[in-house]
Amino acid sequence: MNSNVPDSKKISPFLVFFLIHTMQSGVGILGFQRFIAKTAGYDAWMSIILSGLFVHILLWMMFKMLKIADGDMTSIHTFVLGKKIGKIFSSFFILYFCLFTVAILRSYIEVVQVWMFPELRTFWFALVFHILVIYIVFGGFRTVAGIAFFSIILPFYIAVLFVVIIPYADFTNLLPIFDHSVKELLLASRDMSFTLLGFETLLFFYPFIQNPERSKKWAHFGALYTTMLCIYLAILAFGFFPEAQLQKNIWPTLAMWKIIKLPFVERFEYIGVSNWGLVILPNICICLWCASRLAKQLFSIRQKTSVPAIAILCLIATSLISTRGQINILTDYTGKVGFYFNFIYVPLLFAGTLIAKKVRNREKHT
Amino acid sequence: MRSILKLIASVFLALNLIGCVKKEVLDDISLIEGIGFDYIDKKNILGTVVIPVYLPDQPPKSNTFSTKAEITKSILQDIQRQTADPIVTGSIEVLLFSKTLTEKLGILPLVDAFQRDPSIGSGLYLAMVDGETKELLAGQYGIRGTATYISKLMEHNIRNEDLPKSNLELFLTDFYQEGKTPFIPQLKQIGKNKMEINGISLLKHGKMVDLIEPKEMFFFKLLVDKYSEGMHLVKIDSGEAAVRSIHSSHNFELTKRNPTEVTIHIKVDGIINEFTGQELTPKTIEGLQKQFEKDIKKESLKLIKRFKDKQLDPIGFGHFVKTQTRNFDFNNWRKNQYKDLVVKIKADVKISESGVIE
Repeated sequence: MNSNVPDSKKISPFLVFFLIHTMQSGVGILGFQRFIAKTAGYDAWMSIILSGLFVHILLWMMFKMLKIADGDMTSIHTFVLGKKIGKIFSSFFILYFCLFTVAILRSYIEVVQVWMFPELRTFWFALVFHILVIYIVFGGFRTVAGIAFFSIILPFYIAVLFVVIIPYADFTNLLPIFDHSVKELLLASRDMSFTLLGFETLLFFYPFIQNPERSKKWAHFGALYTTMLCIYLAILAFGFFPEAQLQKNIWPTLAMWKIIKLPFVERFEYIGVSNWGLVILPNICICLWCASRLAKQLFSIRQKTSVPAIAILCLIATSLISTRGQINILTDYTGKVGFYFNFIYVPLLFAGTLIAKKVRNREKHT
Repeated sequence: MRSILKLIASVFLALNLIGCVKKEVLDDISLIEGIGFDYIDKKNILGTVVIPVYLPDQPPKSNTFSTKAEITKSILQDIQRQTADPIVTGSIEVLLFSKTLTEKLGILPLVDAFQRDPSIGSGLYLAMVDGETKELLAGQYGIRGTATYISKLMEHNIRNEDLPKSNLELFLTDFYQEGKTPFIPQLKQIGKNKMEINGISLLKHGKMVDLIEPKEMFFFKLLVDKYSEGMHLVKIDSGEAAVRSIHSSHNFELTKRNPTEVTIHIKVDGIINEFTGQELTPKTIEGLQKQFEKDIKKESLKLIKRFKDKQLDPIGFGHFVKTQTRNFDFNNWRKNQYKDLVVKIKADVKISESGVIE
């Protein structure tokens, strides 16, 4: 239906691992421990496993849908809802990805402003960042996937460096296990799902995967790796902070670094936060790419024009948000929208696709 | 041509970004290395900061500046008006509080600024000063500056001697941990350019409520730190022996409920450094081990009884029992259960070596 992507622009299946994982691990990973511990206390690591399982189920659904519709999100929409309504529904996702871009970039700039340079101007940083992103997206999807690959390989040492804090951690904090009700655990896993969002981009870049059947296992590996990383960071933070102190820290992952002291640099956060720029770079690239790809499919706007246009819109929106309160509202809404899309809309669409397939089959037979 | 233009444009933009942030050259700023707080009255405190001045071919000279203010950051604000270079808090190593301040105001409102500031590491040392911090900081100690002297003093005492682990991070952890009382070491000036660690102060809600004497510190560390070292003098009939514990550990075990009973297993691995008696036979070593075990039991139980009477819990029994109990009620613990808590100590001392002579 929509397989007009030339082979030279497709990516190898194993790169899906990096694309999925990088989209899931953005700024959220710096502060998710606090939200999940709010409801489920230090049993919240179980909630991470729970939401991780949900992600796998959703990934399975997505692959199923994509196979039936043979294309991407727009073809699923056309398949289920028809051409016109499908188009309207799909166009919402341009906004969705713009919202994601703004939320990720603004929260990252906030981290830089709070932890390193309070005088940093949001606009200038966002401008330079966007220019870089436009440059990468112009390189095509293969370049975006390459950036995703490096954004995981290069900062990997940060995850290893966390072992430094283990002598300061008291893991008995996690005891007693099952001190919270099932309801609390479920609520926490809903909060956790905000952090695990991002894998839905699969619905948009699916046609660009060479041999999509083989990419399935890599997508699941990517999601699994994110879940493991989150559990690792959550358990470290739970051991490091008593519950009351964890609630006081906005970025527990970063606050743990305060104890690390290196001979050549007094504060490790400076290295960590600047490296995090590399982690969020592919997130914004992928979001922008998805938005521009949708614009191309729906309104036949060339990506050469749509990418800068969307970037300018995002840039303006990013610079308009200035206080912690506004950023909180923005990330809250983004999280909610993402949650409803992934955990409610996708299953509904899945059911719709199955029904539509049945109906079509019957029509064909009769 | 177009690509060159693009390159120039991006370099220009990148330079623009650098211009956004204020730069701080190390030679043009005053790095605060230590701050001391003294009590003036209910509202005002006296803050003293130590700034090392580096001179050629000489140890750094410690300059101090003092000012009166209501909160921490306004002290720094006032001191800005006294120094030639802007002061920066990034490399603070020690925070000192005078005894009167700790008793009357508590240190919590003062610690907030250091917890909030991202440029300050959480590995800095907190200490209470027996006397005035201004006087203590006025002295010139060691060859590396006052603040470095204090932090080194604490560091080696924590690593090798009987001072329990303590820094800002651990203080905050204990403070926020329900069922645990935080503590910080106490310093005292004992001469013009000398100071010593002379106890550990226990803080409830940031205020000093009890003091561990130096001779109790060895046992306190055994109870508080998972692994510890230190030296203890054991007396038996045939002589006195200085036993250095080279590796010791403790383990908590909840042995009974209603009333709660906790058994602490303390294991000490020691060597004999000095013995005043005639001969060090295996039998005397056996005797020393027994006596050491007795000492641990006696002193530790004495400490624990004192903590229970004063409703303090630096050992963290509350936290420990909580980790073993579902739906734990801290109010009930504080009101009833802690008073009735039974603690048993099982000490196991092993003296493995006795030096190079027999």
